[in-house]
Amino acid sequence: MRKSDFSSQKALLIEDMAEARIMQKKMLSDFGFETIEIAMKAETAIDLLKTQSFDVILSDYNLGNGKDGQQLLEEVRYSKLIPNTTTYLMVTAETSIEMVMGAIEFQPDGYITKPFSQAVLQRRLSKLLETKHKLIDVNQALDQKNLPKAIAEAYKVMEKYPSLEGKCQRVIGECYLEMKEYQQAKSLFSSILVNRKMPWALFGEARACFYLNQLEQSENKFRQLMLDNRFFVSAYDWLAKIKIAQKDNKAAQVILVDALERSPKNLLRQMELGRLSLIIEDYPTAEFAFRRAVSLAKHSCYNTPEVYLNHLLTFAKLSEKTPISSRQKETFQITLKKVHQLFFDDPSVRAKSYSYEISVFLNSNEINSAKNTFQLWTQDVEAGIAVAPTDKQSSQYTLAFEV
Amino acid sequence: MKKMDISTILASAIHESKNQVGTLLYQLQGLKESLPANNANEKRITVIEESLKKLNDEWVEYLYLYKLASNGYELHVDKFLLDEFLDDQVFALLASANAKNLELSYHCDSELTGFFDERLMTAVVGTAVYNALRFARSEIQINASLEYDFLVISIEDDGQGFTAKQEDEEFLESNTGLGLYFAKLSASAHVCNDKEGFLRKEKSTGLGGAKLAIYLPQ
Repeated sequence: MRKSDFSSQKALLIEDMAEARIMQKKMLSDFGFETIEIAMKAETAIDLLKTQSFDVILSDYNLGNGKDGQQLLEEVRYSKLIPNTTTYLMVTAETSIEMVMGAIEFQPDGYITKPFSQAVLQRRLSKLLETKHKLIDVNQALDQKNLPKAIAEAYKVMEKYPSLEGKCQRVIGECYLEMKEYQQAKSLFSSILVNRKMPWALFGEARACFYLNQLEQSENKFRQLMLDNRFFVSAYDWLAKIKIAQKDNKAAQVILVDALERSPKNLLRQMELGRLSLIIEDYPTAEFAFRRAVSLAKHSCYNTPEVYLNHLLTFAKLSEKTPISSRQKETFQITLKKVHQLFFDDPSVRAKSYSYEISVFLNSNEINSAKNTFQLWTQDVEAGIAVAPTDKQSSQYTLAFEV
Repeated sequence: MKKMDISTILASAIHESKNQVGTLLYQLQGLKESLPANNANEKRITVIEESLKKLNDEWVEYLYLYKLASNGYELHVDKFLLDEFLDDQVFALLASANAKNLELSYHCDSELTGFFDERLMTAVVGTAVYNALRFARSEIQINASLEYDFLVISIEDDGQGFTAKQEDEEFLESNTGLGLYFAKLSASAHVCNDKEGFLRKEKSTGLGGAKLAIYLPQ
């Protein structure tokens, strides 16, 4: 086998246990990696990935109290924080391998089970890099978002290396889905399933059916996937989408709550539950979901103002119906403070934040506080650092302040 | 006190032990690196290392066996190039074979691909090779080929071969029976188009000893 040259490559090692970290670092430096960055937990890894790019990521599945390796992978792949050309190798134990293999949607390029020797790691890495090299044109096209080119390159690779057929077909199917060529995606995935029940193909087919509005068919396929793969929690998200499309929001909410019991640390799912709960006016659930989302957001790729503003909004809605407790007010203030610290440079965030604050004050009969906030807002508008209240808001406030 | 399922208890006990074997292996690796090259104890350390590796592989086998037997194993079938898969297996087991002065090699068409669960088949091939290590005189071969709708992976040696008597004794007296049972469950977990995987115990035509063939539906 051809020996890989690691000398021009950058590696990121993510491992929480000191002993294993020291040894793996030694292994990597023996292979000759140009630089090796170290993260002891997922959150640190994300911070590193935001500013640097790596050729190889070696991450343990088990990362202590924070996010696990799979959640990290899903987050950085979803938010495109790592390019498709980067190789992600997951280190697992016998107990965690099922979680990794069952995830279907976001899988690492390879896995290695503990304990492993230096020789085994070197071999695994060399092989993975070789495969990545064969797929380089496909992955570069994907990174450039040139999907037709990615498809064309995938067909080329498939012809040259028949053993990569599955990987290439998967890329092609995913490209069709992203290009909204749902019929084409569906026939591709279906043709693969004729010969072999590959979970990724079933997942692709189920999504194609969803987009083609064949909701019942889609639901059956997702249910089948859930039956075959206990750890494929994403299927719940899709079932919830199906229920929403069928205008059964209550059922969708039940599904999401169930999924979150299985993996409470999923920020996007918490957000989805929050949004859905707002729609069906279940404000306590919405508040809880966004509160969890806020606490998860800081060290994630999804640290957007939307998360925090939605949490504030739930208090405005909650207080419309019943007076909110002093504890709830405290929670509101905590999130409000975070909005001030993180996002107050954005004029529209500033405006929304003020408006929710005024609503909570007005609903709690704290007219003077509401007036003060409104005054701050007006000053900021004059200074050009906040968007002005809408006409509707202005007239509502004027009316309220007169009473 | 509520009575607990003994197999579950054993499975988690094995898991604990396996982790400790892992730690030992890491420590041994550190020790090896701290010693000067070509020292007198190198051979002995290799023996310990190989034994620990084997122990680790056995624990893995037992864990999978438990999961297969309790329907808790989730099969993850993917397509593999046999040339690569078998190369990996030989790479992992070669040191053990060499320690016993045995040859270990694999043979298959370089283009041959097949669908199977990699972890399970790694454990099965490992189990079969460890078993063959006990009987082979000089050589063990792993072969793979396609027979109609089945991928056949066989482990052959130049030992005495299976005899009716030996089989029964093995089943009762050593872990070979357990290994065979594990291989059988692993093969039959592979199902495709209503066809189920199975095992065949034969005489090796090439080497004259035992041949364990695993048939996997494609």
